[in-house]
Amino acid sequence: MPTLTIALKDLRLLLRDPRSAIILVVMPLVVTLILGLTLGRVFTDKPDSKIRISVVVEDEGLGDEPRAFPDRPWSEILLDDLADTANIRVERIPSREQAARLVERGDRSAVVILGKEFSRRAQRCSFVGGEFKRDPINPLYRDGVKADELGVEFLTNPTQPVGSSVIQQVVQVSLLRVVIPWMIGQAFDLIGTDRFMVKMEEKIPALGIAYRVPGFSKARLGDGIRGGISDFFSEYDFNAKTWSGLTESKRQFSVHGAVAGFGVVPLKLAVQRKPAAAAPTRGENRTVYADPKDVQYQMLVPGTTVTFAFFLLLTVGWLFVAERRHGTLVRLRLAPISRTQIILGKALPCLAVSLFQGFFLLACGKLIFGMTFGSRPELLVPVVVSTSIAAAGLSMLVAGLARTETQVAVYGTLLVIVLAGVSGSLLPRELLPENLRQLSLITPHAWALDAYSQLLNPDVATPQVGRVLTACGVLCLYGVVCLVVSRLVAKLD
Amino acid sequence: MTPPILTVTAVEKHYRGTPALRGVSFDLAAGELFGLLGPNGAGKTTLLSVLAGLTDATAGGVTLFGKPFTSRDAEARREIGLATQDLAVYPELTARENLLFFGRLYGLSGSNLKRRTDDMLALAALTDRANHRVDTFSGGMKRRLNLAVALVHDPRLLILDEPTTGVDPQSRNHIFEQVRRLNAAGLTVIYTSHSMEEVQALCPRLAILDHGRVIACDTVANLLRQLPTTARVTTAQAVPETLPGVTGRRRTESGVELDAADGPALFAALRHWPGLEMAALDVVPPTLERVFLKLTGSALRD
Repeated sequence: MPTLTIALKDLRLLLRDPRSAIILVVMPLVVTLILGLTLGRVFTDKPDSKIRISVVVEDEGLGDEPRAFPDRPWSEILLDDLADTANIRVERIPSREQAARLVERGDRSAVVILGKEFSRRAQRCSFVGGEFKRDPINPLYRDGVKADELGVEFLTNPTQPVGSSVIQQVVQVSLLRVVIPWMIGQAFDLIGTDRFMVKMEEKIPALGIAYRVPGFSKARLGDGIRGGISDFFSEYDFNAKTWSGLTESKRQFSVHGAVAGFGVVPLKLAVQRKPAAAAPTRGENRTVYADPKDVQYQMLVPGTTVTFAFFLLLTVGWLFVAERRHGTLVRLRLAPISRTQIILGKALPCLAVSLFQGFFLLACGKLIFGMTFGSRPELLVPVVVSTSIAAAGLSMLVAGLARTETQVAVYGTLLVIVLAGVSGSLLPRELLPENLRQLSLITPHAWALDAYSQLLNPDVATPQVGRVLTACGVLCLYGVVCLVVSRLVAKLD
Repeated sequence: MTPPILTVTAVEKHYRGTPALRGVSFDLAAGELFGLLGPNGAGKTTLLSVLAGLTDATAGGVTLFGKPFTSRDAEARREIGLATQDLAVYPELTARENLLFFGRLYGLSGSNLKRRTDDMLALAALTDRANHRVDTFSGGMKRRLNLAVALVHDPRLLILDEPTTGVDPQSRNHIFEQVRRLNAAGLTVIYTSHSMEEVQALCPRLAILDHGRVIACDTVANLLRQLPTTARVTTAQAVPETLPGVTGRRRTESGVELDAADGPALFAALRHWPGLEMAALDVVPPTLERVFLKLTGSALRD
């Protein structure tokens, strides 16, 4: 009962202290917003191990005339191929002008422009010409594909030659994978046709005699040649006209999840395929977000939630010091209550405030910043609760040791900032060096962030429940240990 | 004589080897209003801390209500009220909220808590400001509330540490009246103050503490008897050397100052001494302040 009495009194004092509301509620929102505006790209560009291929698509496609292949513009086929490539991330930029600005500013080392004629030129690619293919283009040469012949341009920044060269090579390989199967497929389709057999007869006159043999015809010979080649190259499908078809290999990634419009514009491709795409959809191992801000706040809100959970120690510290300054701490000690009851009575309102703060910030993250709660939203509850326990415990420890408001302000702020910095609360933990990432596990922040990451990070398709619960357990243990130590060492005199 | 409710026996208290109390002993009867005097640094606050259960004596012992008392004795602390020298109330709470909070801490609840809260608001003359935040109060109002909070749980022993510091005469007078009324109702009170007049006016018995030791512990009357009454005689004549009971004599510009243990006898003798014409005769009785200065010396203290 005395514990509850003290807790209710402290809760009342906290609610009457405008500093509490500012530090615990207003500041996190403001910081989230500022970080979102200033550092958002750090979060959205987080998969930095992947090479970003920036593309402007001006391609006008092939028109509506009926054709056997392809059923969509060649630019889409190329983009899918790029996106299907491991460690490649495709970014679409809406206009050539914007691309030029990005390259000029050095924000992109190179941007690929798929010109208006790209589909029409790709369609003309062929090994054969003349009577078989009108106005053919053979873009292949020693180093790969002549991009300009296909209407592909590269805007490059001369100060970043390595980056732009890598991008050009990646696009070269993709163009090869798109063009070569198409050219082979067309050529293979010709084999066995009347026009092909006529050509064969021109080259091998004896075939005319052979056709007179009963049961032997151009058609049968043509089928035989096609069948023979197919059997001989049994691991390839020369009819396929796509790289995966030609090589008879399965796709490694979902086409739908392969391309994203991070950082520049919402991705039209993804939006078209994913209606109402404000919520992320999970592919085999990637998530597509229609709007990049969803991603940055998905990472920022948990970071600031964890950081500011520990700002509680300033508020609690000030409350504790004020209790000492007002002489009321002496009255508490005079009362017929134990030291444990005093400490618990002071810890409970901390916990209550921290819980409110945690759930409030997550709710704001959803309502204001458009973040989602992932596939296991119910697991956010133990994460918020255990983070609050850790924050309340650490707050009690610091508050119990500090004697003056200056000590609280200096040591408290220092501790909060250092812990936030070391743990990677304010930047993606993935950006921390491996050794620092390991070291950061001495902080409760790191465990909380890890749990939040499992639940909210769009890169994590299926949260590891065990990992989340382990983090919760560590956080609870941290809080309880701090509370016990504070019971032993708190200066109540 | 009623048995003592508080017995302090040879109490020592050291802080990192530095003695703050050295063998302090005295006792307190139920219903007594006991004064505690001492210069700065004499050990008063340390002694009060031991008596209130905020800290334990390094040596010696305290017996409260017939039982040994230490800081771990929570139940005995329930019988003690302490009005500290520094205000000890929550400025962000109202007067009523402060009283309710501390009342609950001592186990009061329901109608009993409400009644005690209302009584204490009336005692502090704060009924009409009950729902105002304390940080809007004057110094005197805060002092009165500080006293009320010390009393809300109806203690049997009230310890007042400089309860009138920084208050106006009206509030001081109000506090005096309440202390007298409470004492008359049977409450045992320990009263410390720098004001000798306050202690002399309130406390029939007191102890004087200096350098951690009790250098005097007696009734005020007995302490005053340690000093002579002084008669200031203003006259152009020579004052007779044979006046009875004179223990000291000092010449002044206008006459002479005479000390005597029996002031009234000296006064009568002077008035009726044949041939002695006096322009003025002032009798200065001994005061507690003079006793205090005599006992503790006039050297400055930190």
